[in-house]
Amino acid sequence: MSNNRKKMTLTLASVLAASLALSACGSSNGNASGGSASPSASGGGSPAKGESVELNWYTIGTPQKDVDKVMQEVSKYTKDKIGVTVKMTMIDWGDYNQKMQVLTASGTPMDIMFTASWAFDYVQNARKGAFKPIDDLLKKEGAGIVSTLDPAFLEGSKVDGHNYGIPAYKELPSQEVWRFNKQILDADKLDISNIRSLESLEPLLKAVKEKNPDVMPFQVDKNYGPYVPYDYLIEKFPLAVKLDDNSYKVVNVLETPEMKQALQTMHKYYTAGYIPTEAATTESSSDAMVTGKWFVDKATTQPFADNLWSTSAGYPIVSTPLSDALIYNWSVMGSMQAISANSKHPEKAMEFLNLLNTDPVLRNMVDSGIEGTHYKKIDDTHMENLPESKNYDMPTFSLGNVMLTYLNPGDPENKWDEFKKYNAAGKPAVLLGFNFDMSKVSNEIAAINNAKEAYWAPLMTGTVDPDKYLPKAIDKLKAAGLDKVMAEAQAQLDAWKAANNK
Amino acid sequence: MKALGRFAKDINRNKALLLMVLPATLWFIFFAYLPMIGTVISFKEYRVSQDGFLASIIHSKWVGFDNFKFLFSTEDAFVITRNTLLYNAVFIVVGLVLAVGLAIVLSEIANKRLAKWYQTGMFLPYFLSWVIVGYFVYSFLSFDRGMVNKIAAAFGADPVQWYSDPKYWPLIIIVVFLWKSIGYNSVVYLAAIMGIDKSLYEAAMIDGANKWQQIRNITLPMLMPLMTILTLLAIGRIFYADFGLFYQVPRDSGTLYSVTNVIDTYVYRGLKTTGEIGMSTAAGLYQSFVGFVLVITSNYVVRRFNKDNALF
Repeated sequence: MSNNRKKMTLTLASVLAASLALSACGSSNGNASGGSASPSASGGGSPAKGESVELNWYTIGTPQKDVDKVMQEVSKYTKDKIGVTVKMTMIDWGDYNQKMQVLTASGTPMDIMFTASWAFDYVQNARKGAFKPIDDLLKKEGAGIVSTLDPAFLEGSKVDGHNYGIPAYKELPSQEVWRFNKQILDADKLDISNIRSLESLEPLLKAVKEKNPDVMPFQVDKNYGPYVPYDYLIEKFPLAVKLDDNSYKVVNVLETPEMKQALQTMHKYYTAGYIPTEAATTESSSDAMVTGKWFVDKATTQPFADNLWSTSAGYPIVSTPLSDALIYNWSVMGSMQAISANSKHPEKAMEFLNLLNTDPVLRNMVDSGIEGTHYKKIDDTHMENLPESKNYDMPTFSLGNVMLTYLNPGDPENKWDEFKKYNAAGKPAVLLGFNFDMSKVSNEIAAINNAKEAYWAPLMTGTVDPDKYLPKAIDKLKAAGLDKVMAEAQAQLDAWKAANNK
Repeated sequence: MKALGRFAKDINRNKALLLMVLPATLWFIFFAYLPMIGTVISFKEYRVSQDGFLASIIHSKWVGFDNFKFLFSTEDAFVITRNTLLYNAVFIVVGLVLAVGLAIVLSEIANKRLAKWYQTGMFLPYFLSWVIVGYFVYSFLSFDRGMVNKIAAAFGADPVQWYSDPKYWPLIIIVVFLWKSIGYNSVVYLAAIMGIDKSLYEAAMIDGANKWQQIRNITLPMLMPLMTILTLLAIGRIFYADFGLFYQVPRDSGTLYSVTNVIDTYVYRGLKTTGEIGMSTAAGLYQSFVGFVLVITSNYVVRRFNKDNALF
């Protein structure tokens, strides 16, 4: 991992530069000769009868053993239906961002690729020219998507007025919850009905600390950030706009009274021993999840999330909301498939994506593998994994419309209806539709990120005293050029506001 | 014409040797010289073009030295340059002394089986990835489960929050680096010691030289060319920090940045959100350029003292 990072920052780009320059020459030669050899056989890019085009599909997730096997089956199905075969390349979670940046920068032939707000950044790469604009394709080959998908998804994922990717149909708003370990809740006879703010947790944390000395009352890791009613311009970057602010004023979130209060509370909890001592350097809370020695933590919810969490943890988990369900840019762009700018068959790629998002047979094959090998159906809507599914265990949310997938045993029949209800109830957050273009201030962003990282996790986890470190952090960010970025963001936001009559 | 004939004759005469260097030459052409073309990216705002990599480079906008600005724009520039240079200088000096010292000790151990055992033991950490080493260190320094704090508690001392107190880290970084790398370097010197003509030592013994005198007057002078070359090469990389050492081992702890932020980690942290290839290429070019200047200068200095020890 360290190797990858190092390569990414420094050498890989230039090393690959040469090898890919060579392969790029090679492939363009290949095309030229291929084109001249059969000039009439394939006119206008659409293959003649019986022929098919192969689509290269890059997606996120731990590479699975049976991917090629399943894709052969998928290809058989899609070849009959729309004349395409599919080759899928999976890239592991931690590597996806960096590998895809190099692959696109170097012009590797790709047709379809996964992108999101949190992996291989959708907005930035759309602006860098990595994806094909799909406005026209959506009208023709993608008509099925337009009629199936909640329009808020396509509207919310526009970059500078164009669509570059197809969001997966899943939960649309994002809502933060406090999750509780029900075993401890029951044992200590605690009540969570009045819990909402960070401060309201205090009596519970105190009780748990006293009665269960071996349990961590408040499980926090370095990714934690207290909930504040602000919409961030860039994830985990201190610029934000207050949720109910109709004047759209960009502020440094560290300078807001809400954040200051939250950090003071966090520090109080930290000094009281409610928070793990090394929270600021702990990568994830998965250890605590396994041992069950925790009482409360913060998570993002979706309908029936408690079932999901309880099943994966192996003990009951309950939750109660701490924020409203709002539609943010990043919740709309949580999982998307885009068509590569250098794709030779964009129409075919869109036809495939259209089928993937509308055809339950294809969608479930891609998701769960081959029926009878990887899974079996138990009734019309439910399925059960077979032992072989360990060789084809795919992240469902990353592969298109989840509302088409079969339900797991124990899932309620109305699961997807509840999702639709949840989506309909979500309200847009203040910055929905605005995407900050940071290319003009990338030097400042690089410097600010360094200044920010030094203080962010220690402050957010309550490890350090905000009265002392918050002013220091604000000074450092200013020295790194935050004011310039803020002015640029405000200018862009004002222009957006004017253009959209907000 | 005559020169050309002589050249062909030269090639013919040395064809066996030339054939032997061919793979390395090709390697350098493909992986060192051709990629140098890519350094133009550091002067461009790189944007992907549909027609492949070369087209992308050509069509991207020239931005002059803009991509280099983030390396020098803040007070961090001083911190990362100081950290990178000082750590590497310490690594070079202490690493050299320890590696040569250990090589000499190993060569003097009479029990050859035992010597092999020590050598393997010291060599082993070299093959571990920094992620693994990071967890080793964590098992010592963890606040509530770490070995160091447990031992300290047994003696009644207060536990230390190792990962949030910068004052310990220069030492920890140096110790961990030496632990991991020293075995490899000492094997290189050990091989050189093994190659020293034994009759030199026999002659010295006949003249009544003791062990110390033998080491000072035979071993060290014989090792000098190798020490100079390896040190010169290390100086060429003095602007490159070991990313894993400075990122994984301190567990990316923000409070430690004042003593653990180096050029490579700064570039990584700064660019992981924007992913500007032009800026990361610029950082790489800057590092190689400074390294190049330093190698040329130090080689020049070495040549003034001893022509044979210089690289070129």
